[in-house]
Amino acid sequence: MLKRLYRWLDLRIGVGELVEKELTGYLLPRNINEWYSLGSVLLVIFALQVITGMLLMIYYVPDADKAFKSVTFIMNEVPYGWLIRLCHAVGSNMMVAVLILHMLSTLIMGSYKAPRELNWVTGFTLLALVQGISLTGYLAPWSQLSFWATTVATNSASAVPVLGPYLVEFLRGGKLVGPATLGRFFAMHAAVLPVVIAALIGAHLFILKRTGISAPPFGKDETANPFEARDYHYQGHPGGIPFFPNFLLQDLTSISIYFAIFLAVVFFWPNLPFTPDAFVPADPFKTPAHIKPEWYFLANYQTLKIFPSELLGLSVQAAAMTFLALLPFLDRSPERHPLKRPVFLTLVIAGLLLWIALSVWGHLS
Amino acid sequence: MENEGRRKFLGVCLAGATAAAAVAAGYPVFRYLAPKSGQGGAAKLVIPAGELKEGDARFFEFAGSSAVLVKTRGGELVALSAVCTHLGCIVQWEKEKQQFLCPCHGGLFSTEGTVLGGPPPRPLAKIPLTVTEGNITVG
Repeated sequence: MLKRLYRWLDLRIGVGELVEKELTGYLLPRNINEWYSLGSVLLVIFALQVITGMLLMIYYVPDADKAFKSVTFIMNEVPYGWLIRLCHAVGSNMMVAVLILHMLSTLIMGSYKAPRELNWVTGFTLLALVQGISLTGYLAPWSQLSFWATTVATNSASAVPVLGPYLVEFLRGGKLVGPATLGRFFAMHAAVLPVVIAALIGAHLFILKRTGISAPPFGKDETANPFEARDYHYQGHPGGIPFFPNFLLQDLTSISIYFAIFLAVVFFWPNLPFTPDAFVPADPFKTPAHIKPEWYFLANYQTLKIFPSELLGLSVQAAAMTFLALLPFLDRSPERHPLKRPVFLTLVIAGLLLWIALSVWGHLS
Repeated sequence: MENEGRRKFLGVCLAGATAAAAVAAGYPVFRYLAPKSGQGGAAKLVIPAGELKEGDARFFEFAGSSAVLVKTRGGELVALSAVCTHLGCIVQWEKEKQQFLCPCHGGLFSTEGTVLGGPPPRPLAKIPLTVTEGNITVG
């Protein structure tokens, strides 16, 4: 039956040729490793976020008077509403975590180097956009946590010279966080950012297909970047392993491991993404003590706190982000093996430790 | 040959596991989307008999749908479903003619719910009612 359907499709749209070109004939380096499957894991997470988001929209009401009640209704009344919402909330955290791992593996293996600068830049922009979609979605439940975390987050824009106060008002749609903020944040979260992210994922994959996949620098004697800036050249891997079935199996294994961790959090630690303030409706006249942002913003939060001026804190962060975004243009050495790049590796580890330390400090402070 | 058998066995296991996963994911989504049972609103309604004059009709929500109570010029009380049996529009009461008109496609019904004209294939469904101590109980 399946074979007949395949034959039917092949006669009409040449499925066989596509399969040969994109799956069985799409060869990957023989020393490819599991870190290369994180992109597929991220695609699955994004798809799941879109599906659960659409499902939540059926019962969620983006109105300051009704939002908290509608979320409570989803959690307590709608059959399996808790599951859909927890998948969405936990999934957003997981997406940032896996994105960070994906970028770290790219850093360590030097895969951002020429001709893959655009892969890095689109990937880095995706990280920023995913943080943006998480931040805007954070306000949606209209809880004390959402309300005050958004107040603090939007307020940090006030440190921008001259434009700062206007920028804060523009972000909020008013002087303070209020119903107008929910309207614009919801539109960004559910309409604008998902489309932009999907388009950028498309661009990221298109660039990947055009450059060809990079070979890991491990298990080989020659680890220098083979790129020569003379003419366009697709990096193929003759004699490599086919994407289907070999690497698809690796992708599925990684996706299964991801699901095991993700579902363990959903079922056994469902309160992990929430603090007690997440269960209290927003009250604009009552600021709760110790409002903290999500874990992935804790380092930014702490940086703002340790600098004497907010502007300085913001500038340092902006400089660090710009440095990371432009890394492929700054680090132009052809070497890709991490152990043959001791200065770079030290910087990566030091940067990572600093980020972790700032996050822990931010959490405990 | 033994290899073929093993492949087939693994294939069946994989298909089974995939089907189980699909059911495990699909069932909560189906339940999430399915309308709640018993969400249809009141299935019994009490109206003071004095509220309805002869020749008038009163529309109301009944068991999650629309219904109408009419008091004919002869004083007889009739409760009917207000949903036209043609394509589901809500019929309108024409007081002068003492009949129901469905504005969508011109279906006409008598005060008893029988089809007087137009495309409706069946009469309007009757709803039982009782009158006790000056109150009309529908349903």
